[in-house]
Amino acid sequence: MTATLSQLFKKFNQLRGRRVFILPTRFGILYAAFLFLILLAAINYSNSLGHILCFLLASMGVLAMHYTYNNLAKIEFLSAHADPVFCGQDIQFKLLFDNQSNNDCYLIDVATKQNTLKSWNPFKNITGFNYQSHHLIEQLSAQQQQRHTIAISSKKRGKQALEQIRIASRFPFGLFDTWTYFTSNDKAIVYPQAVGDLPLPISNEQGQYIVGAKTKGLDDFSGFNPYRSGDPIHAIAWKAAARDDVLRTKQFSSAVSGNIHLSWQDTAQLKDIEDRLSQLCLWIIECETAGLNYALALPTELIDYSHGHSHQQHCLTALALYEH
Amino acid sequence: MAIKYHWPLPSRQYKSLIALQILIALATGFLLFNSYGNLIGRDAGTALLVVMLGLKVIEIRNERDYYLSCFLGYFLVATNFLYSQSIATASLMFIVVILMTNCLISVNDNNQVLSKQKQLKMASKLLLQSIPLMLVLFVFFPRIAGPLWGLPQDAHTAKTGIDNKMTLGRISQLIQSDAVAFRVKFDNEIPPSAERYWRGPVLWETDGTTWTELQFNSKNKKPTITSSGQAYPYTITLEPHDKHWIFALDFPTNLAKVQKTIQTHDGKLQSIKPINQRVQYKLISHTQFEFNANNDTHLDRALQLPEGQHARTKQLAQQWLQISSDPQQLIQRALQHFNQQNFFYTLSPSVLTGDTIDNFLFESRRGFCEHYAASFTVLMRAAGIPTRIVTGYQGGDINPVDDYLIVRQQDAHAWTEVWLAGQGWIRVDPTAAVAQDRIELGMDNIMPSAMRAPLFFASSSQLIDAWQSIRNNWDAINNAWNRSILAYGPELQKLFLSSLGMTSPDWQKMTIYLVVLFNLVLLIIVAFMLYNKKNNDPIVATYQQFCKKLARFDIKRDNHEGPLSFANKTKTLLPHYQANIETITQLYIDLRYGRQQSSLNDLKQAVKQFKPKKTMK
Repeated sequence: MTATLSQLFKKFNQLRGRRVFILPTRFGILYAAFLFLILLAAINYSNSLGHILCFLLASMGVLAMHYTYNNLAKIEFLSAHADPVFCGQDIQFKLLFDNQSNNDCYLIDVATKQNTLKSWNPFKNITGFNYQSHHLIEQLSAQQQQRHTIAISSKKRGKQALEQIRIASRFPFGLFDTWTYFTSNDKAIVYPQAVGDLPLPISNEQGQYIVGAKTKGLDDFSGFNPYRSGDPIHAIAWKAAARDDVLRTKQFSSAVSGNIHLSWQDTAQLKDIEDRLSQLCLWIIECETAGLNYALALPTELIDYSHGHSHQQHCLTALALYEH
Repeated sequence: MAIKYHWPLPSRQYKSLIALQILIALATGFLLFNSYGNLIGRDAGTALLVVMLGLKVIEIRNERDYYLSCFLGYFLVATNFLYSQSIATASLMFIVVILMTNCLISVNDNNQVLSKQKQLKMASKLLLQSIPLMLVLFVFFPRIAGPLWGLPQDAHTAKTGIDNKMTLGRISQLIQSDAVAFRVKFDNEIPPSAERYWRGPVLWETDGTTWTELQFNSKNKKPTITSSGQAYPYTITLEPHDKHWIFALDFPTNLAKVQKTIQTHDGKLQSIKPINQRVQYKLISHTQFEFNANNDTHLDRALQLPEGQHARTKQLAQQWLQISSDPQQLIQRALQHFNQQNFFYTLSPSVLTGDTIDNFLFESRRGFCEHYAASFTVLMRAAGIPTRIVTGYQGGDINPVDDYLIVRQQDAHAWTEVWLAGQGWIRVDPTAAVAQDRIELGMDNIMPSAMRAPLFFASSSQLIDAWQSIRNNWDAINNAWNRSILAYGPELQKLFLSSLGMTSPDWQKMTIYLVVLFNLVLLIIVAFMLYNKKNNDPIVATYQQFCKKLARFDIKRDNHEGPLSFANKTKTLLPHYQANIETITQLYIDLRYGRQQSSLNDLKQAVKQFKPKKTMK
């Protein structure tokens, strides 16, 4: 008995759902104005069918509100996932939406908060002013989950949260605008920008490696790998991409392997912490491309010699999350 | 159009084009003003709207223009109702509204995600769903009596109907028209055709060819009418005819009940406002009456004849007068004259020239009610008997479908009344002397078949009967449409709501009912919208039944769980039913994902037989 009751309550809560906002658009207001005109004309000419038309359109307007609401109300945001990117690149957030209703939903606009915009408009929250639209979901089929990717520019190194998402829809009649917010805790890791002028610190105490290994390694083509974000742009096989639109990275095997110890101290001549992290970031990529073993020594963390994709990610994440 | 074919619209920078647009708009305004005299009346306003919409559609630039065109389209539908409110127009406009709504959807869906059929389906669905709401609004929305502001001159188109003038020698157009003049519902019995005289304007004055009403003067006063015989209560629904009179069966007694109407000295029912909308009124009539039996202030006018005309007619009257001066005998003689001499009743008489009365009586001798009534009046007046012409309708057909008496324009009639001392005005119908059938059987039965039905039907009597029956049914529908929908105004609303049990309905009460009922209906519709659409796939539906049965044991399938992993979880929780769960899951997977060797019925059976009990848990 209690189980049924609690189930009912849960169902009710589910039905009630999130807070979904709805307001007429300016066309909705124009529509209402036209209805008023029709009503005036109908009254003035005592025209029965004019009344009927006015009432029919008014009823349609009210139902249109429910149509628009239903188009959005049953959409649930499940999660967001993003691969790490270098600062300056766009974060590709993959948002997972779930349409829990028995109807297909159409034309839903996905926007994220844009704090940079300033406005004196007191209704800016209503109008979605400080939200920037990123993507239009054309169709979310009934009882289906769909992934949609939105690109958000990365602001700075570290973890970048998606914060608030606003989904909005005017479908099907454009007379009403309905929207709702989701808060996402999913974060994307933003690596430092891979820039720097310093040469690889090859002449340190671990200098048992051969100068020129880098270039040689780069020359020794061994095959393609699918492109992963973070791969250096110059390693992309553009010619192959032109053939079939798939991005690949040229892989080079280095005949000679060596060990490089990348240390925080090596970047001492750069004053700015961010510059130093960027330099380290570039080195890591260069080492990985060259197929070298590298270790990273940060004031807060030590990562032992290794190579490979996961090692690189480990190192870059350490840089991204570095706090002094 | 430009959007469809991706033609570029001229850019805003071309000033000359903008100037051209303004010029076209101004020219249109000017031309309309020129031809209609104003821009706010019904005709001019509609014309302006049509031109505006036409011009707007060819220069749709953005979303706003598109919406504006759609809304103007809706408004245009409303203006169309000012011209016609027939069932056909309403149906056509209903389709137009669906299409306009479809336009609204397609402007929103500019990526064409939805197919055209889906858009149309959605628009139609919305419209059908709004109908119950519309009905609530229609019944309960407090109606305001129009007009709100002065109606423009052209608010009502010219309607056919009886005029208060009668000119001989011109073929009456009315006879050709089977348009409905009014409909009558008798409460009890319907009087015989020969007694169904529907009184309209009474004509006194003549200049020899044209007969007109008596001008209003201070001597006018109410007539004294005493009626006897059977009382016929009835309700008339009068079609708008733009004139100031309403029709009644000779002679109504309860005039006090008909609002804004007075009875003139000659018995016509004069309405204060012109009848430019369908009106309904209840009357009680007695077909036997005495009208101003003792005196009438206008007897001199009923003897007036134009000087120097109708010489031969006056001569004939003088001859008769020398034989007998008894008015009764004179009347009989005149009627006999029509009956026995070579007179014919025809709906297509030859055009009369010169002295029309003399010409008709002595030359052509072919005519219909107008001719007989006018010449009889001249004869009587020449013989010194006060006579007047009464116009109106005579007869009417009974529609067996809804028992309404339909009086059409073709039933238009003119008869005469003579004043005899002590008896008052007595009806004399000279047409009856010539064409008895016209009065006793009604107009429809004496018309040539070609005039009774369209050409195709006129070839055989069965087809004519079929045509009549179609016409009767169609008319009954139209009648219902007129009475219940088109006539629904402030008065009818009050009547209807009272009959529903609302005591003394006023706008406050109506508003309360409106709000309550509207929300109730809306709730039902929205609830249907939310729940009615279950998953259409029978396989999925059956599987969901299975899940529902399990949900009673708090075993819920999570979103991420496939049927197999769900089955595994369930099996551990309900070990007694492992076999059942396995069969159902296997059947479901087979049906849904590929191997089509199992049948849906098996799955349905399996789910039906799956009855887990709590005690077994």
